[in-house]
Amino acid sequence: MISLQHVYKAYGAKHVLSDVSVQFPPGQVTSLIGPNGAGKSTLLMLIARLLTPTRGDVLMGGRNIADVPVRDYAKRVATLRQSPDFNLRLTVEELVAFGRFPYSRGALTAQDRVVIDEAIEFLSLQPLRLCYIDELSGGQRQMAFLAMTIAQQTDYLLLDEPLNNLDMKHAVHIMRALRRLCDEQGRTVILVVHDINFAANYSDHIVAMKGGAIHRHGPVDQVVTEANLRELFDLDFEILHSQQGFVCNYFNPSPSRELT
Amino acid sequence: MRHMATRYGLWLLVLLLAVGFLLLGSGLDFDYVIPKRLTRLAAIGIAGVCIAYSSVIFQTIAGNRILTPAIMGYEAIYLLFQALLILLLGTQSLLLGRDGNVLLSVLLMLGYSWLIHRWLLRNGSHNVYLLLLLGLVLSMVMGTFTQFIQLKISPGEFSIFQGFNYASFNKAQPAQVIYSGVLVAAVCFIAQRTLPVLDVLALGRDQAISLGVDYPRSVRLQLALIAILVAVSTSLVGPTAFMGVFVANIAYALAGTTRHRVTLPLGCAIAIGIFIIAQYLVEQWLNYNTSVSILINLVCGVYLLALMIRTRGTA
Repeated sequence: MISLQHVYKAYGAKHVLSDVSVQFPPGQVTSLIGPNGAGKSTLLMLIARLLTPTRGDVLMGGRNIADVPVRDYAKRVATLRQSPDFNLRLTVEELVAFGRFPYSRGALTAQDRVVIDEAIEFLSLQPLRLCYIDELSGGQRQMAFLAMTIAQQTDYLLLDEPLNNLDMKHAVHIMRALRRLCDEQGRTVILVVHDINFAANYSDHIVAMKGGAIHRHGPVDQVVTEANLRELFDLDFEILHSQQGFVCNYFNPSPSRELT
Repeated sequence: MRHMATRYGLWLLVLLLAVGFLLLGSGLDFDYVIPKRLTRLAAIGIAGVCIAYSSVIFQTIAGNRILTPAIMGYEAIYLLFQALLILLLGTQSLLLGRDGNVLLSVLLMLGYSWLIHRWLLRNGSHNVYLLLLLGLVLSMVMGTFTQFIQLKISPGEFSIFQGFNYASFNKAQPAQVIYSGVLVAAVCFIAQRTLPVLDVLALGRDQAISLGVDYPRSVRLQLALIAILVAVSTSLVGPTAFMGVFVANIAYALAGTTRHRVTLPLGCAIAIGIFIIAQYLVEQWLNYNTSVSILINLVCGVYLLALMIRTRGTA
């Protein structure tokens, strides 16, 4: 289990996180939600060890992650950031193969190839296998990067806004894949999502952040309520339930419609 | 398959060029002409390897394809040092001897590289861009100092200084070539073992850390290797600013992949090939009326312009 204890992060005089203590339940999908500048990505980057806390500890299984060697950490935690401007001439297969780097340091074994094949198959990327990354659409590229982190075979998957700039179809594909990783393979998934409806419908656990602190956290049905969301985003919400799930409407929820 | 053919074909071509360079018009004079040419050929080989390796690795770390290590100010400090020597000791500075001068230059460039790394690491950040910016500013400052010194020295001393300003294979001495070769071989041996790490570094800092690379340590090691390679090549043949961009980008284009296992050897072949052709033209056709450096900068400058216009078009 990953937990944060009294974590502070500051850039000079600017405090991004102050006194954050939170636990991420293992074997579940946890979404970090909240307005821009709430410190969601910073929190995720602290867990990924891409940033170091100014004060406080991030623990994994009771051990401070700063004490785990980088190599070993890469076998426990995989991170996917927004795929950057990519000008490398790599095929999907080659990119996915990088996921095996923590294990084989560049010399692929037969076992590695099996894992790579499985990761590609898991996301149905076989048709794109030999395509170059820079020739793919944004959604396909994000899938390829996700396959790489899957091939890393870690207990924890951290994703920073994996749905950014994706159309609805690809966004749903990614979220379903994450759900399956959790349900079928028992992995712990922690992600930052901006779309409250994706967060509400695909996660088990929600951590809501505001102003560099934890606002609410708990199971989805406890956190995603009209009152909580209104407080969190300063917007009126109307939550519509149906058999397939629920939709948080913040475009024209009924109270404001009455006002006009 | 096509790429394989390119790779081996290129090395074959370089081999042919090398043999041609050694024998053409030599009258098979094994006592004087050929040993002299052999020294130059060895210098060409070493410089080619240095330039290709340092540029490709540097571009990987910086995540940018139109930079060379020259931007870090290695060449600027070399020129400043030569100018200072001439200013302070006059033509007597030549008494240091080539070996003494080369040794001092290499140490100076390594010290310089160590200092700016230290300064940055003390700040606690591992920002490569800050390193680049610092290098760029320092190289401009040093360039200005060098120009100022040029105004203070006599015309005779100036012409000596001018000799340091351009790349040339004619000044390489056999002893220097031998110990440069040993040093470069050692660096290449270390670099060879970090090739997979370099491939991961090319994915960027975040991805590299996420894949279990000790990023600050790896970058420090690679920058140290680059410093040695640049120091060796600059003291051996002089500044070669543009060459690296040219070599690295042709290598990427021909390799069809960004794997360092492929691009590094290819880059070496290209650099050596270009140097041999340029040196041959200067020796046999232009009768030493121009320098290798001018020839190469002309070609590389044009290529760089084309590259910038082309990438701008697609962006």
